[in-house]
Amino acid sequence: NGKIEWAMWANEQALAAGLILLTGGIVGVAGQFRDREFAAYSIAAGVFVCLLEYPRGKRNKGTSVERTGQYCFTVCVKSFGPLTRNYYVRAFLHAAICVPGGFILAAVLGCVCLGIASLIYLAAAIRGEQWEPILPWKESARKPVGESIKLPPQNPPPRPPAEMRRKRAEDLEAAAYVNPIAVTANDD
Amino acid sequence: MALSVRSWVANEGGKHLVLVLWLGANTLLFMRTFLLYYCGQQYHYLHQMLGLGLCISRASASVLNLNCSLVLLPMCRSLLTYLRGTHTVRSRKARRLLDKSKTFHMACGVAICVFSVVHVSAHLVNMVNFSVRYSEEFPSLNVARYRGEVRFPGITGILLVLILFLMFTASSYCIRVSNYEIFWYTHNLFIVFYIILIVHVVGGALKYQTNFEAHPPGCLRANQTNPDKTEEESGQAEGDGRSCREEARFQPNSPETWLWVSGPLCLYCAERLYRYIRSNSPVTIVAVVRHPCDVIELRMLKKDFKAHPGQYIVLNCPSVSSFENHPFTLTACPTEKKETLGIHLRVVGDWTVFNYEVSLCVAGGIGVTPFACVLHALLDGWRHFRLRRLYFVWVCRELQSFYWFAELLCALHHKLWKENRPDYLNLQLFVSQTDGLQNISEERYRPLSSRLMIGRPRWKLLFEEIGRTNKHKRVGVFCCGPKGISRTLHRLCNSDRYSGTTFEFNKESFS
Repeated sequence: NGKIEWAMWANEQALAAGLILLTGGIVGVAGQFRDREFAAYSIAAGVFVCLLEYPRGKRNKGTSVERTGQYCFTVCVKSFGPLTRNYYVRAFLHAAICVPGGFILAAVLGCVCLGIASLIYLAAAIRGEQWEPILPWKESARKPVGESIKLPPQNPPPRPPAEMRRKRAEDLEAAAYVNPIAVTANDD
Repeated sequence: MALSVRSWVANEGGKHLVLVLWLGANTLLFMRTFLLYYCGQQYHYLHQMLGLGLCISRASASVLNLNCSLVLLPMCRSLLTYLRGTHTVRSRKARRLLDKSKTFHMACGVAICVFSVVHVSAHLVNMVNFSVRYSEEFPSLNVARYRGEVRFPGITGILLVLILFLMFTASSYCIRVSNYEIFWYTHNLFIVFYIILIVHVVGGALKYQTNFEAHPPGCLRANQTNPDKTEEESGQAEGDGRSCREEARFQPNSPETWLWVSGPLCLYCAERLYRYIRSNSPVTIVAVVRHPCDVIELRMLKKDFKAHPGQYIVLNCPSVSSFENHPFTLTACPTEKKETLGIHLRVVGDWTVFNYEVSLCVAGGIGVTPFACVLHALLDGWRHFRLRRLYFVWVCRELQSFYWFAELLCALHHKLWKENRPDYLNLQLFVSQTDGLQNISEERYRPLSSRLMIGRPRWKLLFEEIGRTNKHKRVGVFCCGPKGISRTLHRLCNSDRYSGTTFEFNKESFS
């Protein structure tokens, strides 16, 4: 152990920040604050961030724990390729998203939290971490079993040459053996 | 599988009772505070100005006070260990409840987060109302300086939410398992959280009316008309028809958070101080033994150290990290004959295997370590315990793992045979990886090889057998292993097919 994976923490933070933005936006719209456009933006930004951050990435070492039902999100996020794989992109994206939120009271908290998440993503990117999708385990990953193991052997097992197998007259001790059952000649 | 009411109550009853009490306390507090601000005479004018936002924000604040004070208590581990050991906690039931303390801590934590969201949202609405419904009639009630001004909300509230955000996002199961340090360091921000929490209410934005007898809310001043209200509306208010003797006077609410929070906070700080002082006396490592499958056994000596089987110690190794402390189960407790304590590496709590007449201990892999201490204790002397029969099931992936405690198991088996109690210990070993011919070939480990089975255990059959041979008894089930096994066992304990035998489930968690 020893290497801390910052991206995992940043992911939790960004997801929570997305929810905070969403909640703040809903309160802003429902509470009939002025500047309702910013509140609507906050809702949209919150939903977007949640969708982006819902699928967890794969850990470098050890088992990765998926979030419930994240497979379809994983597929969507994976399809953007390097845009979603690279954490520098995510860091700047979150920084950009959180700025307009700072203009209304209701979204200030979400904005600050997303800003913190963006900083942690930056730290993760500097340490070279990347987002890898968690995909279901494929059967072909197992070592392929050779075909020859399924057929019965065609040849007898290898044996030493006939001279070595024959019992030697010089070495009676080694040649002799004791019958476990008494052997008698057939008298009938 | 049918659910048996009696088994369910025995296993789950206490836990659910505490849950119901806690929910009840929260609901009661919320409703009481809500109604106070909704109907209370001293808050009449404030309520008029702020509406529902006032009631919801204050009600959620009181629930937050309760949970912020409760959340610290389950973490006073030394205190809980002391309580478990004393005779004040006589029954088994109370001890099992204390084992659930971490779950309670998490429940309070989640409640704090949820109600913080409610509280902040309600205060946002309050901010707007303070600005839009600026009151010329009662200028001292206002927080805004003029109509339409939106004051920037208290900095303490923002800081609290940020700290809570950091703590909460770092405490998910995923992060605790992979990067424990992040969880530990952010969670220790709690002290900053509490300090800011105590000063949070000192601002005094919300005021109550001090003289509502002399000035019943809604009454009309003799030579002043309220341009915003008609005759009927003001007639509806509380003091209709009565004249005011004086102007309404307001005073800020006195902060009460410190009342709730300071007790548990001091208790917890005392607990941490106690742990720190105890940890300062040094420990000598007497022996290091290497076992197969990457397991190391450490034998150590520490002055005045006493422990019971099943307890764990927390180790700090300054050359690795001066701040980190990690828990390890004791596999050998110090006794009169042998003063050293031993660990094999991994975690968990103080169990009560000996308090049942019949116990079933299930270990998965390295999860056998807490039970090793139990076996050592039996080896020292088994007669004085209430325990009469122990079923010990150990499931491992590889055969080599059984060698960790092969000596101990065989020694206990031989001792019980010599002392004429062959049925005291029922040992079953399972190797779950089924490839290859596997056997324990050493002659001195014969008791183990004859009890070795290939494949996974059939739990239902085991439970039925235990039920048949121990009718009408209460069997303690102790599990330390992977979640799958513990879930299966928990489910089996709650079902009802066991001819009058009750199985009580006790589980330990790794982290």
